[in-house]
Amino acid sequence: MKDSRIGVYICWCGNNIAKMVDVEQLAEEIGKLENVIISRDYKYMCSDPGQELVIKDIKEHQLDRIVVAACSPRIHELTFRKALENAGLNQYLLEMANIREHVSWVHTDREIATVKAADLIRAAIEKVSYHEPLEKLSVDIDPATLIIGGGVAGMSAALSIAEAGKQVYLLERDEKLGGHAADIDLSFPYLNSVASFLGPMIKRVSEHKHIKVYKGTTIEDIFGYIGNFETSIKPNGGGKEELKFGHIIVATGLKAYDPTPIENYAYGRIKDVITSSEFEQMLLSGKILTKQGKVPEHVAIIHCVGSRNNDTHEYCSRTCCTTALKYANQLRSALPDAGIYDLYADMRAFGKGCEELYTSTSGRNIMFLMFDPEKNLPVVSEAKQDEECEMIIRMEEKMSGENIEVPADLVILMTAMEARDDAKDISHIAGISMCGNNFYIEKHPKLDPVATTTDGVYIVGTCQGPKDIPESISQARAAAARVLAGILRGTVAVEVTTAVVNEDICCGCQTCISVCPYSAITFDEEKNVSEVNEVICKGCGSCGSACPTGAIRSRHYTDRQILSQIKGMLNRGKLKITQTIIEEA
Amino acid sequence: MRRLNMEKFEPKIISFLCNWCSYTGADLAGTSRMKYAHNIRIIRVMCSGRVDPTFVLKSFREGADGVLICGCHPGDCHYHEGNYKCMRRVEFLKRYIKQMGIDERRIRLEWISASEGKQFAALADEMREQIASLGPCRVRKVIENVS
Amino acid sequence: MNYRVDPTFKTDLKKFGLQSWNDCFHCGNCTAMCPLSEDSFMFPRQAIRTMQMGLKQKLVSSIDPWLCYYCGECSDTCPRDANPGEVMMSLRRYLTSLYDWTGLSRKFYTSKVWEIGAILLLGGLIVLAFAIFWPSISPELTSEGGVRINSIIPLKWVEYGDWTMAIIVALLLMSNLFRMYLKIVHGAEAVKIPFFLYFKEAWRLIFHFSTQWSFSKCDGKKYWLWHWLLMSGYTIMFIIIVVFLPWFQTEEIYDPWHPQRLLGYYATFGLLFGLIAVIIGRLRKINAKFKFTHVSDWLFIIMLLLTVITGILVHVFRLAGMPLATYYLYVAHLAILVPMIMIEVPFSKWSHLAYRPFAIYFANLKKEAQKLQEKSGTNFATT
Repeated sequence: MKDSRIGVYICWCGNNIAKMVDVEQLAEEIGKLENVIISRDYKYMCSDPGQELVIKDIKEHQLDRIVVAACSPRIHELTFRKALENAGLNQYLLEMANIREHVSWVHTDREIATVKAADLIRAAIEKVSYHEPLEKLSVDIDPATLIIGGGVAGMSAALSIAEAGKQVYLLERDEKLGGHAADIDLSFPYLNSVASFLGPMIKRVSEHKHIKVYKGTTIEDIFGYIGNFETSIKPNGGGKEELKFGHIIVATGLKAYDPTPIENYAYGRIKDVITSSEFEQMLLSGKILTKQGKVPEHVAIIHCVGSRNNDTHEYCSRTCCTTALKYANQLRSALPDAGIYDLYADMRAFGKGCEELYTSTSGRNIMFLMFDPEKNLPVVSEAKQDEECEMIIRMEEKMSGENIEVPADLVILMTAMEARDDAKDISHIAGISMCGNNFYIEKHPKLDPVATTTDGVYIVGTCQGPKDIPESISQARAAAARVLAGILRGTVAVEVTTAVVNEDICCGCQTCISVCPYSAITFDEEKNVSEVNEVICKGCGSCGSACPTGAIRSRHYTDRQILSQIKGMLNRGKLKITQTIIEEA
Repeated sequence: MRRLNMEKFEPKIISFLCNWCSYTGADLAGTSRMKYAHNIRIIRVMCSGRVDPTFVLKSFREGADGVLICGCHPGDCHYHEGNYKCMRRVEFLKRYIKQMGIDERRIRLEWISASEGKQFAALADEMREQIASLGPCRVRKVIENVS
Repeated sequence: MNYRVDPTFKTDLKKFGLQSWNDCFHCGNCTAMCPLSEDSFMFPRQAIRTMQMGLKQKLVSSIDPWLCYYCGECSDTCPRDANPGEVMMSLRRYLTSLYDWTGLSRKFYTSKVWEIGAILLLGGLIVLAFAIFWPSISPELTSEGGVRINSIIPLKWVEYGDWTMAIIVALLLMSNLFRMYLKIVHGAEAVKIPFFLYFKEAWRLIFHFSTQWSFSKCDGKKYWLWHWLLMSGYTIMFIIIVVFLPWFQTEEIYDPWHPQRLLGYYATFGLLFGLIAVIIGRLRKINAKFKFTHVSDWLFIIMLLLTVITGILVHVFRLAGMPLATYYLYVAHLAILVPMIMIEVPFSKWSHLAYRPFAIYFANLKKEAQKLQEKSGTNFATT
């Protein structure tokens, strides 16, 4: 182990860690380890006084390495790096031990958890002593922005950026702008016409001097990194066009769920069972009729079709409840004497004006019937000849526990929102991660809801998860603000945790070149060694583990660092806590 | 302080998780307060493709009883194909350790996405059971006796 | 069995006094609160849900509305002011109209014209009948100076009239009760009831009829007392007038401590006290149960009050030896009494005197039968 002056800080995280890990004893024991100059525990390390503590110690005790044992580094690594910088220490001389997400929150035995925390901290101490100071690279940012998707979210983001005088390239797969909103008659909760605001929006986007719209255009690949992306597209019918841009906003939207697989609803088998999108078309046409051209006397609306059920999608599609209330209102106005039945699982009419819509709708003679979306879906079947209605829906009404029959001439299925079929392709092209249901994952669900794990790439609208129009627009504007902030700054610091070649050892085998997914490594014929372009390299480390001579080092995750981490983790040495508890047979 | 039951073998398992999917998945298991076997010790790497064979061998050398490597699901790698490289490497490693006299079941490679906290917790328990049934790995003791 | 929903049902029920149908959001406070609700009979929430969905087939065979004595606790504690008590009340009116095969009950409940018209018609007929005898009246006083009451028409005739009325009312009530029995015991949620249970549980009929024991479990014991005074006064009066008329309506005026007079005074007191308490309660809306008053409620109270007042006045004038005043009031007394009994007992509000104890009887039959089934492990359920 290298000689260094290490400071170890163990966070209580209020009670989150302290309840399951004996932080005080741990701090005391860790303090006895070699090279550890300071070892402290503190209620909230991430708080201002917590950071001040680190900064003060670095200055007073000339610490040159810091270990923070707290939450996941994915949450606060940047916070503490900044603290190191403020103390005049290179920010990469920090290592975090994740004793909250990986210890205190997942274990139930305090002694075992304390031992595990000690292992992780010791590993971090071993690793950090091999950390090297690294300097971040600064690159210029191209002021143009690429927006993928010309729906409400994409257009809102485009307008916000273009209004600031910055160039936007807006790509739309279809031949027209507007996305799914263009297929909607009225918007909830105030039942305003969607066309009345969408039309002018499309016009503004199409005519804006800073927005270049490419309709009927898809994207194959994007190269580069934040500030310097590039792609080539083939706009509708035209030749190849090269685009350069500094940021990407993905607004690819959603797909409506196809209810055919749900046997219970007989969609596709019984003609008067229609989806909400089909009903929206009916509303736009102004005529609510059955397939036989009759005015329906009984209309049933079924919620959660494809949502909130493990066989389809576990998640709630968020907008269907309020949309169904909108339909109930439109139906009641159009068919004053019809029986209108709303088969819901839970009425989730949240959001501004939506609960009010529910209250006013429930006073319009709509029969609300509750079912269990997981265990008991209603069953739609054709009625017998002698019945007055076309269909009978049988269900177990949850509020009463009764098995009931609902007559229907028209059944509207409130279909779920799901990720588009090409969501995966776009995720690869733009470098975005997906969650289990193929929606895109944001960088942090609370603190960074529109950014992604790839710098410079933002996600807005329903590609991130089901949402309504105002939410999509809010996200779009938020992403636009982030992009404009980047453009205004003009430069960006890129991670330097890249690979680097030790030319003295490199034997010129070029294995690294064959494994690099970014073509970031080139071969210097003259010197007969490989060379890494640090701006293109993303630091995955594939080359490092492939290099037969150990000439390539993955900065910040070097062989030496990880090997010492392993050693630290498995050698309990003289720590009192660990010795007394678990010594395996 | 209490001493744990000496009869029961508690394996030491080193786990390499890629930063983008699996480490986040393990974090999710934590934020969701799922409980799993304490034997897992997690090391973060940027990509499962970074897991050098020496890391695995070093783990056994230092006394690990099992090694668990997790990466993004095939096709989801943040670096396009690092997980495939890892997959090939692990296949090779298994054959290699077998020749060294270490049971190949002591190495395990699994795909855990950022949303699969539950799966990670289940995997940790499963891995503990698997390694516990194999008993302690004797590599370290053998090496210490030799030297 | 699947019940068919009917969105028009609540519109129909509004005619029976339903105030609001969609305020309830099914928190269940009312059922938790209700001292009479139990595992096998969960009301009022369940009944409200059935009403909202318009499951008529289920309602027809439902006992729950009759098990409620309307203490008003549910309506008082309802966070949504959905008035569960009043929903139960309107369901009782609806059920009464369903049990009645003549269809008159529905007419009386849903139309003021029908109800008031029928009362006036019957009252008119009584007056007319007396008008025939009127010329032959000879005002006579007894030796003590009292009015000879039976000289207006022969006592026998009044007795025949009484018996006729009692038989008609009894036949109507019994046929309606039989229909109630069929719907509840053999209806949609039938349970097979072993024959001996009918006898074993029969005591409940008399017990609950005479004590309203369940009502005493409700909060506010005074309402039970009011109700019991009213009920006992009414019943005693009914029995002595119909069954023991010759004993009661004697020409001889006994001294005040004679059982004939004591019973009469008690019945009058019970009726008067109960009525005045209820009228004040309804006027002041002192409790949720008095908040809404359907036409049928007022009509019944007013007619009963008038019956009592005219009855008292007949007594007073008779003692005072004022023959003409006595006779006029006697006619008026009967002209109010007869339509009150003929309309209210089989067709309207007063019918609950029979439906309530029978409902408790049927409910216990079902409960006991189910218990037996569970014990023997066999399932007699027939649908």
